[in-house]
Amino acid sequence: MIDNSKQNFLNRVRVQKDLEGASGESAVNLTNIDTLVSEIAELTPEDQQFLFEQCRSLSETNDELLKSFVTQAPKAFSLMASKGVQQWVDNAITMYDNKGLGSAVEIIEQVEQYAEEYSNRGIRCDFDEASTFIRNFVTGLGGRELKLAVDSESFTDTESLYLPDSFDLFPVADKNFSLYKLTATHLWAQTWYGTWRSKVVEKILKTSDTNQRLAKFNRLECIRLEAQIERDLPGLYRQFRAMDSEETEGKKIWDDWKSRAARLQRPGAKALDSLELVDEFAEDIVLPPLQPYQGEMHVNRVYEILSERIEREKEEFQSALQDLIDDENSLTEGTEDASKKIELELIEDEDGGAGDTKFQMSLDGEIINIPEHLQDLLGSIMQDLGEIPEDYMEPNENGEYSDKLTEQTETDENDVASDGEDGEIFRYDEWDCTRQRFRQRFCSLRELSIPLAESEFVDETLIKYKGILKSIKRTFEAILGENRLQRRQLDGDGIDLDAVIDSFADLVSGNETSEYLYTRYRNKERNIAVMFMIDMSGSTLGWVNDAERESLVLLCEALELLGDRYAIYGFSGRTNKRCEVYKIKEFGQKYSDEVKQRISGIRPKAYTRMGVAIRHLGHLLNQTQARTKLLITLSDGRPEDYGGYKGKYGIEDTRHALLEIKQAGIHPFCITIDNEAQDYLPYMYGKVNYAVIDEVPKLPYKVADIYRRLTT
Amino acid sequence: MPVEETIKTSQHFVEKEPYYEAINDEVDVFSAAYNNHLPILLKGPTGCGKTRFIEYMAWKLQRPMVTVACHDDLTASDLIGRYLVKGGQTVWVDGPLTDAVRNGSICYLDEVVEARKDTSVVIHPLCDDRRILPIEKLGELMQAPPEFCLAISYNPGYQSVLKDLKQSTRQRFVAIEFTYPDSDTELKIILQESQVDKKLGEKIVKFGRMTRNLKGSGLDEGASTRLLVNAGKLIQDGIKPVVATDTAIAHALTDDPDMLQAVHELSRSIF
Repeated sequence: MIDNSKQNFLNRVRVQKDLEGASGESAVNLTNIDTLVSEIAELTPEDQQFLFEQCRSLSETNDELLKSFVTQAPKAFSLMASKGVQQWVDNAITMYDNKGLGSAVEIIEQVEQYAEEYSNRGIRCDFDEASTFIRNFVTGLGGRELKLAVDSESFTDTESLYLPDSFDLFPVADKNFSLYKLTATHLWAQTWYGTWRSKVVEKILKTSDTNQRLAKFNRLECIRLEAQIERDLPGLYRQFRAMDSEETEGKKIWDDWKSRAARLQRPGAKALDSLELVDEFAEDIVLPPLQPYQGEMHVNRVYEILSERIEREKEEFQSALQDLIDDENSLTEGTEDASKKIELELIEDEDGGAGDTKFQMSLDGEIINIPEHLQDLLGSIMQDLGEIPEDYMEPNENGEYSDKLTEQTETDENDVASDGEDGEIFRYDEWDCTRQRFRQRFCSLRELSIPLAESEFVDETLIKYKGILKSIKRTFEAILGENRLQRRQLDGDGIDLDAVIDSFADLVSGNETSEYLYTRYRNKERNIAVMFMIDMSGSTLGWVNDAERESLVLLCEALELLGDRYAIYGFSGRTNKRCEVYKIKEFGQKYSDEVKQRISGIRPKAYTRMGVAIRHLGHLLNQTQARTKLLITLSDGRPEDYGGYKGKYGIEDTRHALLEIKQAGIHPFCITIDNEAQDYLPYMYGKVNYAVIDEVPKLPYKVADIYRRLTT
Repeated sequence: MPVEETIKTSQHFVEKEPYYEAINDEVDVFSAAYNNHLPILLKGPTGCGKTRFIEYMAWKLQRPMVTVACHDDLTASDLIGRYLVKGGQTVWVDGPLTDAVRNGSICYLDEVVEARKDTSVVIHPLCDDRRILPIEKLGELMQAPPEFCLAISYNPGYQSVLKDLKQSTRQRFVAIEFTYPDSDTELKIILQESQVDKKLGEKIVKFGRMTRNLKGSGLDEGASTRLLVNAGKLIQDGIKPVVATDTAIAHALTDDPDMLQAVHELSRSIF
């Protein structure tokens, strides 16, 4: 007995010591530390080790979070296996990164709730799991492109489908997945079969007891949409039926409603019919219960989106019509005829899905092809209005559809704005080496354009490096020559039959025969896409920046010759909130004057947050098709940014980003002028994937030379 | 199975009228170009009926037809011809193009951008008003007879920038653009070719349109009419519709598991 209690005591002492080592002072100062220590002492040694590891990584994050973790940890281990505990902690840290300490502590404290969710997870279907599929599926079904978003309820505002973040209604994972699909389909059907036509929305909003009517309207629409789906998508209809609940009372009410609303089930029934019928159900107090896949309705959200879109699309539509006329006018030069009129004729009105309606367009009586974007626009307008109103087709008093001049100045302003703040924001994870995990969606990155500068710089560079350019071009031409099948060789892998037969013919006719009878293959085809990532950090100010730009000019000249696909982007930024890449040349874009002006316009900006730039550009590079993909970084120093992105942290994140793109099949390479690069580049890029250039002026011709070595 | 008969390429007449559903005025345009000795370029995505159209025109114009499927090792001498050794002697053998010129056939170079660049050397002089085929090895210039016609096809959709048709080549041709037919025509084609009933045909057409909605959001191309016909044939032969669309369409379009799942579910929602 004494031995036992002695053992326990020793255990507790050891645990307390380990805990102190892992989490520092703060945990040990907890008031109930003694109880906690004895609880921890009862865990298995593996769990204890695991707990201390978590403590270590949390101590890097936040002391408060660490304290509440230590307090809850024994309970967590009693409820979940270590994998669950790990996810629980991960979840809290992500929450800490995104929403702050309060929410993170909340997660830690609600450990019971988390444990219950965790045990359900096997059968649960999460939004992230299903979203890719749903997006593809709904796009395939047709109509305007719908975004997906998470919300506590399922509904649509006709632009996005809002779905819950998970479904766990059924004890089988597959069925929960199906539920996602069917919920999305039901909402899609609302947008496709005209539930939210503008007339309907306006009518609903005009009524007094909107909410009550809306609830009934929703049920009636369910009946109408179900019938539409049964006709058009019988396979889906069967899946819907399989999902219906068995509850008899509810079924009885549904059957009653269905028989009273029989006319909604006939082909050609419209949402307006459902709305009219609502009055007939005014006396009904008990409504049929919604099936799990039948979402709610939020008419105000729809109205906001709808009215904005209708206005925008009218403008777009008319400006597209004006484009058509302008094109026509430019073909028949000189005879500018303001009275040209476009007519639109409905050829085929399909039942229900108005987005599928077909039109024929004629310009002054002559049938013309409807361009693709106009076709999409027509589809979207039909989805909202069910018709193309006459005033859409009416030219204004000048006989034009759209006043281009005013519109142009407006878009100019917009362009300036988008150069500054707007534009799509990409979010990327960042690797946090101190915690050994990702900070999720931590970096916000924008793609910006470089303002055009005079292209004289390019001409000057070409003159300055005339001699070098010549030799670069010569070596690059040699690469091209090597890549063909070489016929009539003195030796080689195959016999050149033509040569043999020629020399045989020569032999027969008594002429001198040739010895060049073989063929030799070199690399058959250059199938290379290369992305250049240019450091635009503030430290490049001065001659480094000049050398970078000069290198790019020479490189472009050489690459044009080779025909390799290439893109050039600059990168910079300040903190994780403002990461930026600058488009200089995209894949598929020609080496035009515009590109030259952008190269001239490269100027030093802020800091060097490399990881996020590598992730983004690697992603872009991956979208091009090529056998060999290269990401070449032109840099002047180690990764560095505000907010702790320096030293080990920056290097580790960059290294992690490079590993990620390597896994995606991209070869990274770095050219730098930093003389200390030996210290960190081999670690980030690998022993051979970098080159240090000791003198800045050498950069321009070295870069081309390195590229040649890399790709032959 | 034993070979039923072999014929020389130059004698390949299309004897039975191939089923072809005209979409626009391509038949008239082709005839007019043929009468005026102009070469023809057929543009369009895969499986929309370019080859069938040429067969139909060969039948209509009663000319033999020579088809060459171009590949990246196809050289000018593969088209023109070469010396072969026979019994200690060298014998000249015409290539398919020379053969077509000699016999006044319609020569169809399918996916011409795939061929090596040196083929343009022989295509160019044939395609302007000279209409001659230089046969370097024989030291001959062959004047094409009025019946000869050169047609090439080209898919602008998915070729890489390395394999674009050069302006100097394309500007010699009368270009006819092909797209997928509209739903009614497509239904007609599917009914005719696969013999499925109308209701099933309509579903197949609808499914085809759904896959085309996915073009650009995961699929490089939507299902071509040819694939829809193939699926129809499988269904007509007793294969379950969803299996038929999976095998004949989904897996032919993509290897991406996400897309496969989406296409599969779309099929399940219709059939």
